[in-house]
Amino acid sequence: MYKLILKMAWKNSFMRLSRTLLVIIMIGVSMSMMLGIQGIYDGMVNNMVDKNRRSDSGDITIFAKDYRVNRDLLYRIKNVHEIKNEIQKMDGVEAVVLRIRADGLLSTARKSSFASVIGIDLKEEEHFGKFSEFLKEGTVDLQKQGAIIGVELAKTLKVRVGSKIIFSTQDGSGEINSIALYIRAIVQTTNIALDNSAIFIDIGQLHKFLGTASTEATQISIRGNGEKLYGELKSKYPNLDVKTFLELQPMIKQMQDLMVIFNSVTFFIVMSVVFVGIFGVMYVSILDRIREFGIMLSVGMHYKYIRLQIFFEALFVGLMGYLSGAVLGAVILVYLKNKGIDLSSFSDALEMWGYESVIHGTIKISYFTTTFASIITASLFSILIPLRKIKKLNPIEVIKADK
Amino acid sequence: MFKLALKNTLFYKGRSITTAVLTFVSTILFILFISLQDGSHNAMLENSLKIYTGAIEIYHRDYRDVGGNEYLIQDAKAITDKLAKIDAVEAFSTRYETYGLFSSKEYSAASMLAGVEPSKESVLSSLGTALKEGKFLDENAGNCIYMGAELVKKLKLGIGDEVAFVGSASDDSFAADIFKLCGVFKTGLFEFDSSASFVSRSYFDELMNGYNKASYITIKLKNIDDADIVNSQIIKVLDDENLESLTWKTLMKSMVEMMEIDSIFGYISLSLFLVVIFFVIMIYGFINISSRIKEFGVLRSIGLSKKNILLLLFYEIFILSTISVILATPIAAYICYYYNINPVVIKGIAEMYKDYGVVSDEIPFNFDMFTIFWNVAVVYILNFLSILYPYLYINSFKPIEATRHV
Repeated sequence: MYKLILKMAWKNSFMRLSRTLLVIIMIGVSMSMMLGIQGIYDGMVNNMVDKNRRSDSGDITIFAKDYRVNRDLLYRIKNVHEIKNEIQKMDGVEAVVLRIRADGLLSTARKSSFASVIGIDLKEEEHFGKFSEFLKEGTVDLQKQGAIIGVELAKTLKVRVGSKIIFSTQDGSGEINSIALYIRAIVQTTNIALDNSAIFIDIGQLHKFLGTASTEATQISIRGNGEKLYGELKSKYPNLDVKTFLELQPMIKQMQDLMVIFNSVTFFIVMSVVFVGIFGVMYVSILDRIREFGIMLSVGMHYKYIRLQIFFEALFVGLMGYLSGAVLGAVILVYLKNKGIDLSSFSDALEMWGYESVIHGTIKISYFTTTFASIITASLFSILIPLRKIKKLNPIEVIKADK
Repeated sequence: MFKLALKNTLFYKGRSITTAVLTFVSTILFILFISLQDGSHNAMLENSLKIYTGAIEIYHRDYRDVGGNEYLIQDAKAITDKLAKIDAVEAFSTRYETYGLFSSKEYSAASMLAGVEPSKESVLSSLGTALKEGKFLDENAGNCIYMGAELVKKLKLGIGDEVAFVGSASDDSFAADIFKLCGVFKTGLFEFDSSASFVSRSYFDELMNGYNKASYITIKLKNIDDADIVNSQIIKVLDDENLESLTWKTLMKSMVEMMEIDSIFGYISLSLFLVVIFFVIMIYGFINISSRIKEFGVLRSIGLSKKNILLLLFYEIFILSTISVILATPIAAYICYYYNINPVVIKGIAEMYKDYGVVSDEIPFNFDMFTIFWNVAVVYILNFLSILYPYLYINSFKPIEATRHV
């Protein structure tokens, strides 16, 4: 019996081929577009999160108390090597870097701009966040007064690889001090703050220039996972300011939240309209065959079998639509992930605002699972009203009727 | 034909209601979305233009690309005399910008120091109205400095405190002085507030040897929409190859481009809704037509041409679209108008997006009849397109075949 019902449902699903195809195309096109949009938006935010993590704060960052408020060299963390060793031994820690930072004036012979000099250990940064991947021009080398400059700062100062620059700032003892540096590379981290104002030099050299001890740093950044690690660090170092990535980047947190809201609203609206589309087709499809259902009831077929048949019909249409959307969506997502959208003609603006000129999408299994659940739900809900109509049928009257 | 179409729309209630409701929703959604997008972009641009950047700025060629004192405007008066003769120019002022290190008793910070003409700046920019503490500059302010709130915070200064400045003068000589903090401003533009300070030009020129020199001349127009036309006029009047006159579109190219990208993504998101709605309208139209094949067969048999059938379908969708648009447009337009005057306020958004140049928590909608008109036109076009496939389907039947269709 069930086999027969399945067979009938399958055949009836495609009895009015054009109509069913339109619904399948509607589901397929809207679903694939929705997946593409979700993928590209999530990709933009994920890329920003990833690069911000790798280039700056990691998953957790430790500052001296009050450093974030005053952003002054006076607020330094002492005994950083000891702290670093302790952190490295903790569970869940993948990498730890020390950085020292000072704000000042960066000048060429022709132009000046405010900038932040950041002392880094290239080897550790490579392990921490694959620093070399941010390279846009030149070679990653900080030897012999070498400096790596953020892409936007380089544009502001009109400097290139090989240019000489002078950085002036107040050193650890409060005196104004200057250092001559040579640009070895230009990097694009897509972290607006770094791209707009950072120059990276060797941490040892910066300590010497600033007159600070090598056992001091303004920032300890940690890559690792888990709330547990954050809790442990907070209780272990109560005199330091321990912050998670999202605490330091509330804008990114809000962007992520906005993206979830946007995707949910989009999803809801699109699915509602898709539901209206499927409903229309299912309703008319059932009305067209109302006599057929009347005959089936009058020859003794139980209502539950008719309900099952219609249920399968809706399921087939929904499934076919979902499959076409999933395939088309997967193709779009794979393309967006691998090739991305090339917005090179807007590269200046994108770089300035912290985006790459080629925007890559991301693929999440959840895109497909949630869409699957929604389309199937929409398909099944669409038959509720038509089913009520059949349930109320008087077989004799229906058979007598013209249609 | 129109009468018949009207009767059909009244007879096939299910299709008519669904089409009308979906058209109504898409019209409102479209108008509001575009209005919000344009409104937020306009507000960002207007705020930025209002704060400091001029509608048009005149530079010595290569000042922006190469920089350096040799590319300063050397005879600013000659240019301003010419500008005074152009009607469309409301106000103009010379600015001389340089960078240096400021030091308070304990702290130092790098900053831009600009020599400005205070009375003219009051008309040109919102520097004066951005006053937070103390007072704005005047022509005789002497060594008074007017500083951004974030910079003041960094240097831990109070009104009346002294701050040392070290930089270089227009002849590349060393320039150093002690200024007195007289006023603090907060424009909301984070980067500007943390990196800009101003001194009256009369005092600044003495310190920097900047008499009659300028980094650029900034211009306010009577109507900013005329920027391109007035700019051509200025170029003609200046008639100097060593000078370049640029409108805000070039000066704020990155922001303009970013808004274009934002608009592109906005249109892509919106197109998703419109495509889905288009399909549903088409499906309902198709279902409706499928059930009327016999009727179309009869109409064709009694002499109606294919063109007449298309006209009938066109009238049907036109009636439904028009009813929806007539209902939706005033509602959407009123919402746009209301939120144009009373912008949506999202507390904390300016602080959150300060790196992106957002200076206000207010997000106004844009109210522009032309925009609303083209939004409505797009909805109409989509609805008209939705009858094409049903029309082709109907035409695939021969009249006799259609009259026998069950």
